[in-house]
Amino acid sequence: MERRDFLKISAASGATAALSSCGHPEHQIIRFIPEEDLQPGVAVFKPSVCTLCSAGCGLTVRVMEGDAEVERHGKLGLIKMGLAKKLEGNPDHPINRGKLCARGQAGLQVTYHPDRVRTPLQRIGPRGSGKFEEIGWDTAMTELVSKLAPLRASNQAASLAFLTRPLRGLRAELIARFLEAFGAPRAVTFETFDETVLRHANALSYGQPQLPTFDLARANYAISFGADFLGTWNSPVAQAIGYGEFRQGRPGRRGKLVMVESRLSPTGANADEWIPARPGFEGLLALAIGRVLVVEKLVPMDGNGPASWFGGPDFAPEQVEKPTGVSLATITRIARELAAQQPAVAMIGGAPLAQTNGLFNAQAVNALNVLLGNSGKPGGVGFTPQPSAPVVPKSSYRNLEELIRRASTGRAGVSGVSSRPISPSNNPAESPLGPVNVLLIYEANPVFGQPGFTAGALAQIPFIASFGCFIDETSVLADLILPDHSPLESWLDVVPESGSLGAVVSLAPPALRPLHDTRSMPDVLLEVAHRLGGQLGEGLPWATFEEMLRSAAAQLTGAIDTNDYWKKTLQQGGWWGRDSKQPIHVLAGGGTHAPIEPSLPEFDGDEREFPFHFLPYASPALLDGSTAHLPWMQELPDVLTSAMWSVWVEINPQTAGRLNIQQGDLVEVASRHGQLQAPAFLYPAIAPDVVAMPVGQGHEHFTRYASGRGANPISILAPMTEESVGALAWAATRVQIRRVGDGRKQLTLFGGGMREELREKR
Amino acid sequence: MVTKTIAEINEDLLRPVFHTTWRFWVAAVVLGMGVVAAYATFFYQISAGFGITGINRPVFWGFYVTNFVFWIGISHAGTLISAILRLANATWRRPVTRCAEVITVFALSIGALFPIIHLGRPWLFFWLLPYPSERRIWPNFRSPLLWDCFAILTYLTGSLAFLLLPVIPDWALVRDKSRGWRKKLYTTLAFGWGGTGRQWHRLESAMHIMAIVIIPVAVSVHTIVSWDFAMAPIPMWHSTIFGPYFVAGAIFSGIAALIIAMSCLRKFLHLEQYLQPIHFDNLGKLLLMMSLLWLYFVFAERLTVWYGNAPAEMSVFLSTQRGPFAPLFWTMVVCNFLIPFPLLAIKKLRTIAGTTLAASTIVVGMWLERFLIIVPSLSHKYLPYAWGSYRPTWAELTITAGTFTGMALLYLLFAKFVPIISVWELKLGTRHRATQALLEIVPAEEPLLEEVADLNPNVALEDS
Amino acid sequence: MLHNWAMVVDLDRCTGCEACVVACRAENNVPTAGPDQAARGRAIHWIRVERYFEGDFPDVRVKFRPVLCQQCDDAPCEPVCPTYASYHTQEGLNAQVYNRCIGTRYCANACPYTVRFFNFFNPIWEKPLHLQLNPDVSVREAGVVEKCTFCVQRIKTAEINAEAEKRDLNDGEISPACVQSCPTSALVFGDLNDGESKVSRLSHSTRGRKLLGELGTGPKITYLERETFAW
Repeated sequence: MERRDFLKISAASGATAALSSCGHPEHQIIRFIPEEDLQPGVAVFKPSVCTLCSAGCGLTVRVMEGDAEVERHGKLGLIKMGLAKKLEGNPDHPINRGKLCARGQAGLQVTYHPDRVRTPLQRIGPRGSGKFEEIGWDTAMTELVSKLAPLRASNQAASLAFLTRPLRGLRAELIARFLEAFGAPRAVTFETFDETVLRHANALSYGQPQLPTFDLARANYAISFGADFLGTWNSPVAQAIGYGEFRQGRPGRRGKLVMVESRLSPTGANADEWIPARPGFEGLLALAIGRVLVVEKLVPMDGNGPASWFGGPDFAPEQVEKPTGVSLATITRIARELAAQQPAVAMIGGAPLAQTNGLFNAQAVNALNVLLGNSGKPGGVGFTPQPSAPVVPKSSYRNLEELIRRASTGRAGVSGVSSRPISPSNNPAESPLGPVNVLLIYEANPVFGQPGFTAGALAQIPFIASFGCFIDETSVLADLILPDHSPLESWLDVVPESGSLGAVVSLAPPALRPLHDTRSMPDVLLEVAHRLGGQLGEGLPWATFEEMLRSAAAQLTGAIDTNDYWKKTLQQGGWWGRDSKQPIHVLAGGGTHAPIEPSLPEFDGDEREFPFHFLPYASPALLDGSTAHLPWMQELPDVLTSAMWSVWVEINPQTAGRLNIQQGDLVEVASRHGQLQAPAFLYPAIAPDVVAMPVGQGHEHFTRYASGRGANPISILAPMTEESVGALAWAATRVQIRRVGDGRKQLTLFGGGMREELREKR
Repeated sequence: MVTKTIAEINEDLLRPVFHTTWRFWVAAVVLGMGVVAAYATFFYQISAGFGITGINRPVFWGFYVTNFVFWIGISHAGTLISAILRLANATWRRPVTRCAEVITVFALSIGALFPIIHLGRPWLFFWLLPYPSERRIWPNFRSPLLWDCFAILTYLTGSLAFLLLPVIPDWALVRDKSRGWRKKLYTTLAFGWGGTGRQWHRLESAMHIMAIVIIPVAVSVHTIVSWDFAMAPIPMWHSTIFGPYFVAGAIFSGIAALIIAMSCLRKFLHLEQYLQPIHFDNLGKLLLMMSLLWLYFVFAERLTVWYGNAPAEMSVFLSTQRGPFAPLFWTMVVCNFLIPFPLLAIKKLRTIAGTTLAASTIVVGMWLERFLIIVPSLSHKYLPYAWGSYRPTWAELTITAGTFTGMALLYLLFAKFVPIISVWELKLGTRHRATQALLEIVPAEEPLLEEVADLNPNVALEDS
Repeated sequence: MLHNWAMVVDLDRCTGCEACVVACRAENNVPTAGPDQAARGRAIHWIRVERYFEGDFPDVRVKFRPVLCQQCDDAPCEPVCPTYASYHTQEGLNAQVYNRCIGTRYCANACPYTVRFFNFFNPIWEKPLHLQLNPDVSVREAGVVEKCTFCVQRIKTAEINAEAEKRDLNDGEISPACVQSCPTSALVFGDLNDGESKVSRLSHSTRGRKLLGELGTGPKITYLERETFAW
């Protein structure tokens, strides 16, 4: 049986060539249409954008010609096409300036992943069984339209829900317009490590509901409260570039880094000083430091708000010694160093924000920056200019609660909702939305990433469709899968929220032709809109996403819309303001500056029964689990434990000794809401009453590399939320641990010895 | 005391050559299966990949190299007995020489297989040989592996000569006593030996030269093998003591192997009259001396390391002293010294059973010693982050077991085709003492072999 | 003019992000071992970030140190290779010639830095991951040893291009994959024969140390030690 049939390839306009068969199968021939700029053996470099995290770094893709075996309509063929060989940072891009992090390098494996969805799929088994059959795009589009059209016809447009990861660019705009024109509510955004608390705090402190950008390159002193800014937090590459200069970029001047966290993160490992403050009390510590600055008159007192915040007796350093676990001497010394080594900047991120008092913690740390007067100044905190004023967002957790509620209503009898109690919505004025008849999913995986969100939560929704490239725990529940192109095959635009003090828009055409029979999600949406017609069709007048980008690009920059300009932007990989090194001034005085209401953290679980704070952290390789399917990331030795292909529980060695737990022993970690088992790692740099686990493993459905591997720490988290913002307080769970067996087979370490000096005495 | 007529000697020593029992076949098949399993494993290793072993990073050498050193070490049996004892005129060696030389040749052959077995691409092993190739490069003579190659080939050639030359007269004896296919075979093997004076003289000179030459070759072989390790800048490998240490250990393990072989031969071939307690006693004394020498070397090396307290070396040291390798280390000490010492030092215990038991534990202990030289050092090199561990798999165990069964099989087959005790040398010895008794003189040198031929085969000879 | 390639690693800039580790394997077709083989100690990382803890809670410090082939001037891996698969080039690189290697692994044992890796099986790239393979770098078969080459393919390409254009190479023109990706610019690569090059200048820094220099291997990588504070 001849497997290699010939395919006829027709190239569409521009670089996005949609592959389609034509006419008579028996007459199909191969036509090798080489891409214009490709010669065999000679590499070309094309710009692109990295989408593995939200930083929006610019890429340069090394493309070389090669033969790829592809399948179209069930037939195999060979296509000569440009293949991506290597990703580098785009040297001109203001965020990452030619550099690229470990995850970005692994982005290559997304395009060429063996378990990518290659063609539209339709569910044939029970929901969640993973049984799909391949269908053609025509069938798929017809099916999707047939589910959406009746909603509008029967005045149920509001029962369409769109679940997506947070998007920053025209994709978000397109989805928003689509939903608005359709008559459906705004998109539900979800990500596990949601930064809503920080955005709220920045709105209050600086008037910018936005992630901050730090000018480390010109700072002399940096104190980070839990922000793993060299690892996974915010814009890691931009921050690392700044850090390099901070340390050794200015001859004779070396910045000092202090890290306040209960578990040493990769950033903390680089710090000159590590302060393991007690979890949840970071804000109190910041206020105590601020108080020293005020009381000792180490900062200019000009009678404004900030100085007055620190006057209260509650934050006297002597008072906070005990709750924070940090000595008076240290607090005083840090304050004096901050004042003496200016420009000094304070950062907060990670676990301190993921407490019930996260907003307070953030405001307190922000207040230090305001006190030090570094906001909008060289060496201080600033913000990346945005094309439109950012709005205060709703937290992922609240978004999903709302979705669960909607998904469970409208059906008599059994509610498929999870067993978690629903906290009251933040805004009672918002009228509750109705049930969900159609759910569209785009790269969001709450079944894995949100505690208590089970597959059952979506059971009542009649029709679910997913646009993702991969099948994961959430998209496996879909009835229809319309696979998106991989990022390198897509038109990409990202407006980074942070990482640059000048305006940046990353914008790039596809670097590669599509490998599989996939379609760009924005193009699919546009076609759906046109098929549905009416207001939708008018509201979205572009035929392709490329058109939409082109028209919007002119607005972004206020530039004259000429061919040359568009070409130049695409060649460069985006647009950036000329004076990108100038800091942006924040509003005078800094935001609304409501007085900071001190707040104490609350934890789930009684201290005696659950003696340990549970700290799930974003793994440098796997982030929140969204890169767990990349084999290079699974095999990357975790820099602090050297573990590969594993998940583990970090325990302080003295604590472990007390509990008779040795390295590699299988331990059970139990909260009030669940338990899991994982091998123990005796981690010297963690507080004795804290245990930590990297997030990312424990997938049930997520390609061959991540499925069935390890445990998911998110699954045992308590539904605690930040009291004002409603974001998931993922650091507020308490647990108990005990040894249950030998887990060494589940813990693969690349490294052997953990210490360089021999501690054993002869 | 061998109180035997020449006819009886011939009868006893040639019986295994002429008579085959069912036990031989059973033994051959069983041992053969072990060898076949080992070969099959090796070919599977080539096809599936070296990864079927337990080798990993950083322990890139494990069981195979251990076996290599171990078997090369065992091969020093023959050298000591044949060469050194021959030059020292220790006449009690006579029944034992051939057993020993056989061990040498076979152990060397087995040992020499391992540099091929442990290669990543074993089909290219011949690149170690200097031949004009179209790649236009020689092998790298600076590499101790090349020195290994030449040393082992030289030693193997020499030992083969040393073994086979004196076998010729015995093959001639078998030829004269056999008929049919055996006669044809042994006629070829006997190389036209006629027992003339000149031939005996030449044989005697050749033996003498070989005896002198083989000793430095043997010493150099195991020194060079030790330099596979000592030349690398690895903690507790890079030691100046390795040359003499390995040679001493080799002789030590060689004697032990010889004692075990002799015990087996004695039992299975009914050679109680020829392999007597005195032989075991003397070899036992030698073994005792080597045990003490071994202990001295080990102690000297370890004391120096411990006293020096260099961090990299101490981590290796402590891993064997108290760490993960401690059970193996102390087992080795028990096997190589604590058990053998009383068995060999106390005359009452230095019996055949006693020395054999001591020799058995020593063989185990010496295998462990090779393992403990190789693996702990590789597990603990200079950068602690790169430390690792090692565990053999079924592949290495099968091949290791296969070498032991292979050795036994080779020995079994050898004893089938060659008289395992050198008939003419034994007769020479006994004749010599008989003449001495008769003439009541102490001869200054060995009598002429011609005299042996004159004797009446039915006259009883005494051996004192 | 002959070059003498060397590298400087600034440990004060290095954050342990491991971008270099992934960049290297992407560039050099380093196979993925998979969970089973990685558990058996067969994972290959031509460059690794070593991590050491010092002290006990709460006074714990962590050291990161990227370790790659030091391209030693007196490499202990070179004399021991029986087939000259490991040899020293005129430009100061320790080259590994895959098709001369018969896999004795003596070089891997002799290397004090443990930077050599052995291919225990034929590499597998589950399709279509193989489409990502770099055609400028050979794919190694089972039984041969491999290690960091300072991205010799990039060096050679740049040298050939410069010669074709009849000009000298500029400092910073050649970047191995690790150097190119490092966000903090902790890795610097260049020509020691060029006195003005960044690598030459940094090699003479007072913070400069050689890793295991006391062994006499003559490593070409200078590590700039992390600084501490006087105040």
